[in-house]
Amino acid sequence: MIKRLMQGAALGLALATFGAVVANAVQVNAIAILVPEEGTDYGWNQQGVDAAVAAANATGVEVITAEGLGYGDIRPTLRELAEEGASLMIAHASGYNTAAPEIAQETGVPVAIVDSPDALVPGLVADYTLSGHEGAYLAGVMAATMTRTGTVGIVVSGEPPSWNAQSAGFAQGVQATNPDVKIVYAVIGPAAYADAAGGNRVTAAVIAAGADIVFGQGNGSSFGMLQAIETTPATDGGKVLFIDVIGDKSSIDKGYLLTSVLWDMTPVYTAMIEDLENDTFGTKSYAIGLADDSVRLLQTDNIPADVWEQVMAVRQELVDGTLVLEPVFDAEGVRALVTSVAE
Amino acid sequence: MEALLTAAFLTALLAGAVAAGVPLLLAGLGEQMSEKAGVLNIGIEGMMLMGAYLGFLVAFESGNGALGFVAGMAGGMAVAFVMAILCVGLALNQIVIGIGLTLGVEGLTALLHHFQFSTTYPRLPAAWRMPVPGLVELPVIGPALFDRHPLVYLAFLLVPLLAWLYRRTALGLTLRAAGEKPAALDVAGIDVATVRFLAVLFTGAMAGLGGAFMANVAAGIFIPFMTGGAGFIGIVLAMLARGRPAWVLIGAVVFGGALSLTTALQVAGLNVPTDLIQMLPFAAVMAVLVLYGRKARLPAALGLPYVRGAR
Repeated sequence: MIKRLMQGAALGLALATFGAVVANAVQVNAIAILVPEEGTDYGWNQQGVDAAVAAANATGVEVITAEGLGYGDIRPTLRELAEEGASLMIAHASGYNTAAPEIAQETGVPVAIVDSPDALVPGLVADYTLSGHEGAYLAGVMAATMTRTGTVGIVVSGEPPSWNAQSAGFAQGVQATNPDVKIVYAVIGPAAYADAAGGNRVTAAVIAAGADIVFGQGNGSSFGMLQAIETTPATDGGKVLFIDVIGDKSSIDKGYLLTSVLWDMTPVYTAMIEDLENDTFGTKSYAIGLADDSVRLLQTDNIPADVWEQVMAVRQELVDGTLVLEPVFDAEGVRALVTSVAE
Repeated sequence: MEALLTAAFLTALLAGAVAAGVPLLLAGLGEQMSEKAGVLNIGIEGMMLMGAYLGFLVAFESGNGALGFVAGMAGGMAVAFVMAILCVGLALNQIVIGIGLTLGVEGLTALLHHFQFSTTYPRLPAAWRMPVPGLVELPVIGPALFDRHPLVYLAFLLVPLLAWLYRRTALGLTLRAAGEKPAALDVAGIDVATVRFLAVLFTGAMAGLGGAFMANVAAGIFIPFMTGGAGFIGIVLAMLARGRPAWVLIGAVVFGGALSLTTALQVAGLNVPTDLIQMLPFAAVMAVLVLYGRKARLPAALGLPYVRGAR
């Protein structure tokens, strides 16, 4: 009798829980993504837009893209998108981290923001602090193996956590492969994401400091980096190679692209839509990684076959868990890994 | 450390300072003329951006770098023309119009870039350099300062030229009068509006040229929003310079040099927060402002529209 009563109570509890979930779950009809620059930048903005479209297609919802919004106040755009019926607004820039949660509270429409793991609000605000540090580590292994001058460079147009993780991953990969390789590090500006001239200027200085392989992270400014690489010879007179991140610039490459740490954010956005429908939105973090190829290295003709094999062997160690790599998200941690004048 | 003190690295730093300083110098010199004539040209950022866009577009499509600079000047002047019509002709608020024009040009150039270049991102080849015989062989400063694009030399030559114009010519006096006592100029039979109109157009030409330099020489590519506030720094330099072109040059050199210094400190692996290092250029300009800004004297009628007969 008692057993039956307990079974009944358990069933009742399960039904009540299910009922509550159904009652609170959100029917996702459309998602919106807001990006600061054009969604055709072969980088952060494009990967965000492409992934949002892919996730929407995979889950059967509509997608609204708002591109080239700049780094100013996006509150009016967020309100407009909320009025247009977006069930989820993805604010795809760290500069939007203040405005987006405010508008979520105001309109009740859930938002996803970046690089703010402490900002979660169940049902309303989710964060995706993504890191391609494992892919950057592989790029570091490749750079340390291929450098002729014994110096590699890192040039970034800002120091958001996800980029710090990649800078640190790259440096760790270099050091693990050849500790004698020097790593020079330079930031173009506090938020110099569109500073193409700065990208060119700083990259030229890094090349003059001896780097023959440059790991660059920089949205629009990365085209300035690329231009410096195409027009500035290395200190040994040879060619400088560029390692890009997030997107694939193969189609506009003039033979200087070594590889790219490619990101695919589709699984992240798909999981967000599912979490909204399951009422678990804003309760957990999202990740990308090597195991499901949401982070992978681009293979180009500049990579010798034996180097690619070596790098893929290290990839396998990371996927297996034989090699464990903790992401370093703070800028101080990155600076501790680069070569200082004292060395 | 020794590895960093190579001729190649020091040359790159100096060349970087020049590349960063020249657009500011051109913008600052342009702004200075506008301010002398009594127009606070806040729209200079938009003029630079339009110059960058048109300069790159024409240089890329025609394959002719010089034509690109002409187009850059024309682009800056086109925006300046609108500013002059609204602020000088219609006597509208110079600050509001300036900000509005900048925002409008940011949107327009981003849109045009989207349709023209957003999938191809074309880049120009390395900029043409004109070595100065006898000086280019000097170690470090030779290749850094005397093996540059001709526009660099032109920008530096403009400094004494404008100083002479302001101090030694009737045109210079007319410009100053338009900014100090426009009514007196009017009584003397010179049309204040025409003087101010031409000064604003000159500002547009200089800002456009600076933008074209930034896109075609310093970056080799046009990217939306790429001027990143350089025009506003040009305004600060012009205000600090107290009407003297040589001071605009000093400000531009200090700012460009400090930018290169930040790169040097970072590449040296100095273990201090990057934000602190990157404050250097702005701190340097602020230090100059604190030291010398108190003596700054702006034209009495700066920012005030002139309407004949109005009190």
